[in-house]
Amino acid sequence: MSEEKGVSGVRGAVPEIEAIQKGFEGRGYICNAHIATSIFLAERLQKPLLIEGPPGVGKTELAKATAELLGKPLIRLQCYEGLDEAKALYEWKYGKQLLYTQVLKEKLGDLMSGAQGLKESISRLHDFDDTFFSEEFLEPRPLLKALWQPGGAVLLIDEIDKSDDEFEAFLLELLSDYQISVPELGTIKARTVPVVFLTSNNTREIGDALKRRCLHLYIPFPDSDLEQRIIKSRVPEVEEALRRQLVAFVQGIRELDLKKQPAVSETIDWARTLVLLHARELDAELVRQTLNVLLKFQDDIDNVEGEVNALTTKALQAG
Amino acid sequence: MTEVLGDFIRALRAADVRVSTSEAIDAGQVVSMVGLDDRQTLRDALSQVLAKSEDEKQSFGETFDRFFAFDQLKHRPAANDAEAEAEDDAAEDDEGESGEANQKEGEGEGDGPPSGGSGGSDGERYDLVAMLERGDQAQLQMALAEAARQVRLNEIRLFTQRGMYSRRIMEAMGLYALEDEVMDRERAGNEAGADALRGKREELRLQVRDYVEKQLELFTANAGRQMREEVLAQMRLSNIDYSDMKFMRELVRKMAKRLIALHSRRRKVDRRGVLDMRRTIRANVEFDGLFFHTIWKTKKVDRPKVMAICDVSGSVAQVSGFLLMFLYSLQEVIPRVRSFAFSAELGETTDFFKREKNIEEAIRETLQRHGGGSTDYGFALADFERLAMDDIDHRTTVIILGDARSNYSNPRGDILKKVHARARRVIWLNPEPKGLWNSGDSEMKRLAPYCDKAITCASLKDLERVVSELLRHAS
Repeated sequence: MSEEKGVSGVRGAVPEIEAIQKGFEGRGYICNAHIATSIFLAERLQKPLLIEGPPGVGKTELAKATAELLGKPLIRLQCYEGLDEAKALYEWKYGKQLLYTQVLKEKLGDLMSGAQGLKESISRLHDFDDTFFSEEFLEPRPLLKALWQPGGAVLLIDEIDKSDDEFEAFLLELLSDYQISVPELGTIKARTVPVVFLTSNNTREIGDALKRRCLHLYIPFPDSDLEQRIIKSRVPEVEEALRRQLVAFVQGIRELDLKKQPAVSETIDWARTLVLLHARELDAELVRQTLNVLLKFQDDIDNVEGEVNALTTKALQAG
Repeated sequence: MTEVLGDFIRALRAADVRVSTSEAIDAGQVVSMVGLDDRQTLRDALSQVLAKSEDEKQSFGETFDRFFAFDQLKHRPAANDAEAEAEDDAAEDDEGESGEANQKEGEGEGDGPPSGGSGGSDGERYDLVAMLERGDQAQLQMALAEAARQVRLNEIRLFTQRGMYSRRIMEAMGLYALEDEVMDRERAGNEAGADALRGKREELRLQVRDYVEKQLELFTANAGRQMREEVLAQMRLSNIDYSDMKFMRELVRKMAKRLIALHSRRRKVDRRGVLDMRRTIRANVEFDGLFFHTIWKTKKVDRPKVMAICDVSGSVAQVSGFLLMFLYSLQEVIPRVRSFAFSAELGETTDFFKREKNIEEAIRETLQRHGGGSTDYGFALADFERLAMDDIDHRTTVIILGDARSNYSNPRGDILKKVHARARRVIWLNPEPKGLWNSGDSEMKRLAPYCDKAITCASLKDLERVVSELLRHAS
C-alpha cells in the first residue's frame, strides 16, 4: 500500500461515488451514499457484494440498476432448495455427446485401418482429438455464462439463503478467484471479471466463509425523505401533498408490530393504486379500502384497521 | 495508517465483531481507495468490509464513532481568546478533521521517524509548550495520539493501569520539558506566565486521562465479559448464582444458536425406485448410452426431530431452571422440538413456550404448573406414552433431563423400553455425578439400559457437548 496510490485514490473516491448515485438516479433507482459506496467498492475491489435486508427494499433492483449503469448484461441465478451445479454452472450436452460416439464408432474403421496390432491402435486412438469432454459439448448455465461473457457481466445470485449449504460451499471458488473447476476439463477462468451480487433475506445464516469473501451491504427500510424521493421517481403522477401523506402513513405503520412490514415495493404499489383511484388526499375510508395493497397478511390488516384513524390523522398532519 | 487501522480492528474484535485477516487486508485496500477525507464515506466503506451481519454493523457503528471521536476538540473551550477563531474553524470542520488527523499521523509513520517522536528533547519541549500556548487542539491531539502509540497504549488491559499510562503519555509528550519551562519562568519572575502554563498542563493532564480511559474502554470492552462467560460455562449448574441468571440465559441462547447453525445441514437419503433419467443418461454417455450405471432421485430429509422431557421436581430444582432455559432456546432455533415437563404429572410445554415471548416468564410458569410435586418417573413416563408415543418415529431423538430419583416408585422401565424401540436415540442427561447414580432412590440402573446414552450433564459445557453430538448423529 504505497502512499501515492492512497492519495490518488482519495481524490477520485467521493466524486465517483456521487457519480454512481447520480447515475442510479437517472435510471430511476434512488439510493443513498451508503449504497453507492458499496457499488463503488465492489467494482474497484472486484469483490462480490452480499446484500441483505428485509424483502422489498430493492436488493434485486440494485443489481439491475447496476447492470444498466455499467451497460453490461445482467445474468440472474435464482437460488432454491436443491439447486445444484448442473443447473447453476454447466451441463454436458449429453444428447450431442451420444451422437458423437455414434459418429466416432463409424469412423473407427477408417481410423484403425492399417494399424499393426493392439499397441499401435491404442496409440492412434490417443493421438485422436479428445473432443468428447471439451467446451463444445459444454452447455453453460448462468454462472459459467457470466464468466464467459465477453466484456464482463453483472451476475445476480438471488436469494442465496434459499440454497443449500453445499451450494454455498461450491460458490466459494467462483467468488474468491472468479474461476470454476470442471473435473473433466480443468479450471475455467473468467474472461472478464463479472460484477457479482448476492442477495439474502436472512431466512438462514450465511456461512462465514462466504461472508468473508464478500462485501456486506445491509439495506434497511428507507427513511421518510428517501422514500419520498423514490415514490417521486417511480410514480411521478402522485401529487406532492398525497405523496408526503402516504409516505408518512407507511412510516407510521412500520412502527407497529406486524408480521410483515410494508416495504418500498408495497409503498410504490400503494401509490399507484391511489393514483388510479384519483385520490388527492388520504382519508381513513380510502386507506381502509386499499390496505390490502400494503399489507399481505389478514392478521396484519386486522391489527392495523383499528389504528387507521389515528395513523391517517398523523399522516395528514405530517403532510 | 496501517497501525491506526490495526488498532481499530483490534477494537472491533473487542466489541465482538469477527474480523479475519483477509478482511483486514481488504480494509487496508478500502482505506487507500476511499481515503480519509470524508468521514462518512470511510465509515460506509469500512462497514462493508468489516461488519458482516446486522449485529456486527451496530457494533461497528458504535466502535467507529468512539474510536474516531476526537471530541476533545469539540468540547474544550478555546483556551486563548486570540486563537478562538481558528478553533472555531477547526470545530466546524470537525468531522473531516478527525479523519485527517489520523491520516497525517499515518503518513508520518510511513515517511520515517516522526518529528515529535525521537527528535531532540529541545524540539519536543518547545513543541509542547508552543502547542499549549497556541491552544492548537488539533496538533495536540496528534501529538497525544503519537505519544500513545509510543508507549503502546493499545496494550492496556486493566483499569488500574490508567494512571501509569497517562503518566507515560505525558512524559512522551514532553512533560519534563514543560515542567522545566515552568521553573524557568518562575525563576525569571514571570509568575503569571508560569501559572498560565501550569493551568494548561492541568488541562492537558485531564485530556490525556480522558483519552486513556476511552482507549481502555475501546480495547477491553468485552474482555471482562468474555472471561466471565468462560468461567460460567464450566461451573456446575447448581452452583451458579441467581445474579448470573440473565447472563447465563444469553449464554445458553448463544450456545443453542451456534449449535444449530453448525448442524442445521440437511442430509440426503436415497429414495429407492425413482430413476433420475437426466442424470442417468449423462452418467452413461461414456458407456455408449448403455445404462449400466443408474442414478436414483434423492429426497431431502428434514432436520432432526427432538422430544425433550424435563424433570422440574424439587430434587433437581437448582438445575431445572437452566434445563428449561435450554429447552426454550432450543425450541427457538429448531422448529421441531416437543418439550415436556413433569414432577408428578407430565405436561406438554411446547405450545406454551412458543406463545410466551419472555423466557423468564415461561420458565416461572412452567415451574409453577408442573413443578413442586414429588417425582414419579412411572407416572410421568405413562403420561408421555399417552401424549407423544404416536409421534415418535425413527427420526426422533428423545432427551430426558433428570436425576431419575423416583421416590421408590416403579420407574416403568417398560415404557422407556418401548420408546427406545421406536425412537432413533434416547439420551439421558443426569445432573448428578456418576458416583451418585443408583444411590438411594435413584433408578438409573433400571432406566439406563434403555438409553443409547446416559451421561452426566452438570455444566453448560457438558450440555453443549451433548447437544452437539446429538445433532451430529441425528438425521
